[in-house]
Amino acid sequence: MRKGKLNFWSFFWPILAMTYFFVPLYGTLDFSLRMKKGVISLLAYQTVLADPQFIESFQYSVVMGIVSVTLSILLFVPTVYWIYLKVPKARPFVEIVSILPFIIPTIVFVFGLIRTFSRPPFLLTLTPFKTDILMAAGYIILSMPYMFRAIDVGMRSIDVKTLTEAGQSLGANWLQILFTIIIPNLRIAILSGALIAFATVLGEMILGDFLVRPAFGAYLVLVGRSKAYEPAALSIISYALTWIMLGAIQVFAKGSSSQSQLLGRG
Amino acid sequence: MSYLNLKNIYKTFSSNVAVDDFSLDIAQGEFISFLGPSGCGKTTTLRMVAGFEYPTAGSIALLGNEITNLPPNKRNIGMVFQSYALFPNMTVAENIGFGLKVSNTNTIEIKARVTEALSLIHMQDLGGRYPGQLSGGQQQRVALARALAIKPKVLLLDEPLSALDAKIRLELRLEIRRIQKQLNMTTIYVTHDQEEALTLSDRIVVMNQGRVEQVDTPSRIYNYPSTEFVASFVGHINIFPVSVIDGGEGIVDLSGNKIRSRKHMQEGAIPVHMAVRPEELTPGHREGANNLTGNIHSVQYLGSVVRIQIDVSGNFLSMDLFNQRDLSIPMVGDRFDVNFSSDSCWLL
Repeated sequence: MRKGKLNFWSFFWPILAMTYFFVPLYGTLDFSLRMKKGVISLLAYQTVLADPQFIESFQYSVVMGIVSVTLSILLFVPTVYWIYLKVPKARPFVEIVSILPFIIPTIVFVFGLIRTFSRPPFLLTLTPFKTDILMAAGYIILSMPYMFRAIDVGMRSIDVKTLTEAGQSLGANWLQILFTIIIPNLRIAILSGALIAFATVLGEMILGDFLVRPAFGAYLVLVGRSKAYEPAALSIISYALTWIMLGAIQVFAKGSSSQSQLLGRG
Repeated sequence: MSYLNLKNIYKTFSSNVAVDDFSLDIAQGEFISFLGPSGCGKTTTLRMVAGFEYPTAGSIALLGNEITNLPPNKRNIGMVFQSYALFPNMTVAENIGFGLKVSNTNTIEIKARVTEALSLIHMQDLGGRYPGQLSGGQQQRVALARALAIKPKVLLLDEPLSALDAKIRLELRLEIRRIQKQLNMTTIYVTHDQEEALTLSDRIVVMNQGRVEQVDTPSRIYNYPSTEFVASFVGHINIFPVSVIDGGEGIVDLSGNKIRSRKHMQEGAIPVHMAVRPEELTPGHREGANNLTGNIHSVQYLGSVVRIQIDVSGNFLSMDLFNQRDLSIPMVGDRFDVNFSSDSCWLL
C-alpha cells in the first residue's frame, strides 16, 4: 500500500512541474505558428529572421557577449584563484559583493553608470566604441553572480592550494600553474559560467535601451511593443538558444567525465 | 658543512608560536623523520624547507647556499603530499613529466626520465591512466615518482601514508625506504606514526609544541629518551612520580618501594618521574633486581603480545609478555610479583 502511494506522488510532482513549465511554452509556440489566419505556418519566424534589425541586434549582442564573457573569465578566474590561495577569509565578503547585481535593480545600476561615465573625467558615452566599452563593463557586472558562483564551485571541487603547491615544488611558476593545472580542471565550471553569462547578455535589455545601442534584448522589447506574433517567435528562438547552450555544457561535461577530479581518494 | 642546515628557525602565526628555535643539520643521503603529535610544528617546519612558508626568524641553507627566502619553484626540492596532489587532468606519465616539461627539458629526455620513474615504482604499464583510475597506493607511488623525476636535491614527504589502509601503508613504507636508499636521496619525512618513524629513519626529530625534544637514532630515541615527552610519545611506557632517596646512587621511592635506576643524578637535579618499558618487566621475584608486588588489574590480548596491568599501591604498571601457547596467564585480582633491572629503569 505504502509503495503504491509513493509511486503515485513520485509521478504526480514531476508531471505537475512539467505541466507548469511546458504549457505556457506550448501556448507561445502555438501562438507563434498562427500568424497566417487559419493555417499553421512559420511566417512569424520568417518575418523575424528577415528583419535586418534582428540580424543587426543579434550580431551585436553575440559580439558583446563574447567580449564580455572573455573579459569576465580573465577577470574572475585569477581573482577567485587568488582568493582561495592567499586570502581565503575574504571569500564570504567577495561572495556578498558578487550577488550585489541581484540586490541592486538594474535600472539603478544603469543610471549610476550613465551619471558617472557621461561626464569628465570618465567620459565614455560620446562615441559608439566608448559606449560599447561601458556596455561590456556593465554586462560583466550583471553576469558576475553567475560567473563568480560557477568558478567558486569549480575551485571548491579541487584542492587548489595543494595542487598549486605541488606545481610549485615541481618548478612551475604562477602562469604555468594557472594555465596547465588550475584552468584545465575548471573547464566545466568556466564553461557553465560563460554560457549562463552569455545568455544573460543576449537577454539583457536595460543597458542597451538606455545607452542607445542595438542590443538584442532591447530589440525584443521593441518588437514586443509593436507586434503580436513576432515576439512569440523571438521567445521560442531565445528558448532554443538557451537549450542549445545547456546542451553544449552537457556535451563538454560528458567529455571530461573520464578524468576524475577526486583528490585524496584512498 | 652539512648538506641541509636549519638554524634557529622561528615561525609565528599571529601570536601563536608554531616553531620555536629549531636547529638541525642533515647529511647528504640521510633519512630524517619529524615525529610529533598534531600541531607540534613538524609540517610547518617541512613547509619552510619547501618554501611554502617563510620563517619569522632563522635561516635555511642547502649545500651552503641560503634558501630561506627563495620561492619554492626555485629550490629544486621535491615534495610528496598526504593527499597525493596528482593533477587530475593529466595522465600518470604527464604527471611524472610535468616538472621536466616546465623546466623546458627536451621531449626525448622527458620520455626517458618518465620511463625510468615508472620502472622505479613498478608501474610501467599504467602511464596512460588518469589519477582517478588508480588506487590510493598507486596514486601515492606516482606522486613519489613525480617528485623524484626532477632529480631534487631534497625529498620532502608530508604524512604520505596516512590516507592509506594499513596493509598498503606497510608495503609503501618499505618501498619508500628502498627507493630512498637506491637513489641516496636526502629525505625529510613528517609523520605522527612512531612505528613509521622508527622503521624508516636514520635519525628522528621528536617535536612537541614547536620545540625539538630530541634528535637521535631510532634505537636511542626508544631506549634512551631524554625527556618525559619523548619517553611517553615513542612506544608504550610506565611513568610514575617518585621521591628521591639517594640522587647520587639513583635510588628513589615508589609508594614505599625502593627502586634503583640506571641513571645517576647530578648534584642538585630533581627528578620527579621514573620510567620503565613494559617489555623490560619480568614476572616473579629476582634477587638483585627491582622487585614489586601488586594485584592483577587487567589482562589484554594484543595478538603477539599479552599486556598485563598490575596495581602496585595505586600505580598501574603495564607488563608485556610474548604470547606463547604455553604462557600461563594470571587472573584479574591475583597477587603478582614483577621485577626489572636497574639498567631498564631511568629517571626523568
